[in-house]
Amino acid sequence: MIRGIWTRETIVLLLVAAYLPLAVLWLWFGGGEAVQRLGLAALVLFLWNLAFLLARAQPISLSFVITALAVAMLAPEGLGAFQLVLGISFGAVFGELVFGGWGRNVVNPATVALSFLGFGFPGYDWPDFLAPAAWAAIAAALIGGVTGTLPVGVIASATLAAAGAVAAGLLPAAALPAAGVVLVLLVADPVTSATTLLGRWLNGALYAGLVTLFAVGWHGATPVQYAVAAALLTSLVAPALDELALAVWYAKRRRQHGGT
Amino acid sequence: MINFAFRSGLTPRFSSPACGPQQTDMITTKAALRASPGKPPRVTLEVDEGALVPQGAPIARLRASPDVCFVAPMPARVARITLLQGRRLSEIVLFHEPGPDDLRHDISQADTEGGLRRLMQNSGLWIWLERRPFGGPPPPDERPGAIFVMASDTAPLAPDPRLALAGQEEPFGRGLHALTRLTDGPVFVCQQPGPALFDGASRDGAAHAGRLRAVDHGPRHPQGAPGLRIHALFPATLETPVWTIHAEDVAHLGTLLATGTLPMTRLVSIGGAALREARLVRTQPGADLRGLTHRIVQPGPHVVLSGSPLDGHPAHWLAPRHRQVTALPRPAKGKPPHWLVAALTRSAAPKPVIPNAALDQSFAAGLPAAAFVRVLASGNDETAMKMGLLSLLEDDVALADYVLGGDAHLPDLLRAMLDRIRTEFAA
Repeated sequence: MIRGIWTRETIVLLLVAAYLPLAVLWLWFGGGEAVQRLGLAALVLFLWNLAFLLARAQPISLSFVITALAVAMLAPEGLGAFQLVLGISFGAVFGELVFGGWGRNVVNPATVALSFLGFGFPGYDWPDFLAPAAWAAIAAALIGGVTGTLPVGVIASATLAAAGAVAAGLLPAAALPAAGVVLVLLVADPVTSATTLLGRWLNGALYAGLVTLFAVGWHGATPVQYAVAAALLTSLVAPALDELALAVWYAKRRRQHGGT
Repeated sequence: MINFAFRSGLTPRFSSPACGPQQTDMITTKAALRASPGKPPRVTLEVDEGALVPQGAPIARLRASPDVCFVAPMPARVARITLLQGRRLSEIVLFHEPGPDDLRHDISQADTEGGLRRLMQNSGLWIWLERRPFGGPPPPDERPGAIFVMASDTAPLAPDPRLALAGQEEPFGRGLHALTRLTDGPVFVCQQPGPALFDGASRDGAAHAGRLRAVDHGPRHPQGAPGLRIHALFPATLETPVWTIHAEDVAHLGTLLATGTLPMTRLVSIGGAALREARLVRTQPGADLRGLTHRIVQPGPHVVLSGSPLDGHPAHWLAPRHRQVTALPRPAKGKPPHWLVAALTRSAAPKPVIPNAALDQSFAAGLPAAAFVRVLASGNDETAMKMGLLSLLEDDVALADYVLGGDAHLPDLLRAMLDRIRTEFAA
């Protein structure tokens, strides 16, 4: 009869709004080339979504715009159109669409696409982000946090853990802009990050821990490269973190109520 | 006194005219006896159509438990009896007609547990109880692990049970102490912070001391939902069911124990955007909803719900345990979308639920919300039971379903899962 607003489409619209400052700033600094990459990524993703709509009646979600933005911003520079199309297609189809579309996927399609591009074409340089991008990422996190669409626990724990690592001298401050952009675009994805309270805090801390580990031990890697690798590993572990959090919750309830 | 996290939950706002604290008595001309939602029970009729019955007279009995009666909520003439196949109760319509004095029950045996049960069953109060798991009134000989007395209601536009209890402190205390005889476990009184609703010192000595416990919770919904309180304090299981009863019904039990007559009016709020004025009325269970909203509803198409805007359903009569009536404008039927747009937006499977903060709050931080919704959607009975499914009923997930735009169909999923579990464990 009367319905609330927190449907899949509302959430994706709010997420697009949250990422808008990041997109605008990146396009401002990136110029025509950035616009081309974003346009190409969006077109490829739209076509794949359309194909799955016609073949499997999966309605198109605007989330493909977010995926396109993440891929366009974080993909290695200098890749040709064919390589980009290949990577994006792999990520969209095997990361999201075969599972039933956005909301049923277990890994972020952009993370899969970027990992594919990174492993498949290792000779290309990864992009670098300047401080303005980090500020825009903070704005995105704030908008997402206030509207309740981005998991605050993931972002907060990652921020705290990264601050600790920087203070301890383990994580170079220069890596923070890239790590921040990857955090809000890939790691804090509400669908593929952990969904329990404890799981979210572990999820964010694990991401920051992996970024720190790679920063220390992965010689020659750029911040975006190891942040994307950390995001991939974190998203693969996220369901296990939720299981761990649920196991703790079950144990706590068993202690309180004697087995339920 | 136990305290909960007062800041969890939501405050969904629904437009409705302001409602003053004044209460008016309103016995509608027509009323009907209906069973709770779910499979209708088989009944044995006690009267025929056209019979004149006093208030409290048994109209029908459960065939499986003949002591459990459906009674007349007012002095009335039986206008129409509608039974389904297998003599299952559909509805019995009564016309208000002053007649003989209210039926007085024998209360001499009420001091014993068996006598109290029989009195509650014969007087019609038993069907106001609700058991978990699975819902519906409890079997006549069931002994619950705990009883929850709901002295607060956080649903939007709900009447404050404290208003219903004003001046009823003594019968309420008497009813509470009687309830302690029906269980060996605790009797929780769920309330919002405020003056004490009952005297904590047991009237019956040390036997009940400590088992009667007041539990405070915050004002946001669903902190006052029975299922969430049960889930937090004394989870229902297949072996240890839990009962809930509204505080006003407990006060009526106290009056029944003192006078032998069960009061048949309850405080009901009438609200909603389709009204010119909202009201608090004292009316009978099964009241005619059109009678209640007559003259206060705005002109134009509208729909009247029994229950809150979240969990109410379009109905003609006030449901047995409901204390809310909601009148909403009937949404105009828009032009059907173009076939291509419909084809492109209609999905083969229900749209997935995206975890968000509103969903987390819609279970008042009592459950891992997203995980629970996913378990419901995937039909994983065992994990759902581990998470506390058996303490919940449809009303408890109504807010989450509303928040998610109704796409998730959570009440239907929950009911299907409960029915499946009941069938499986009954076999």
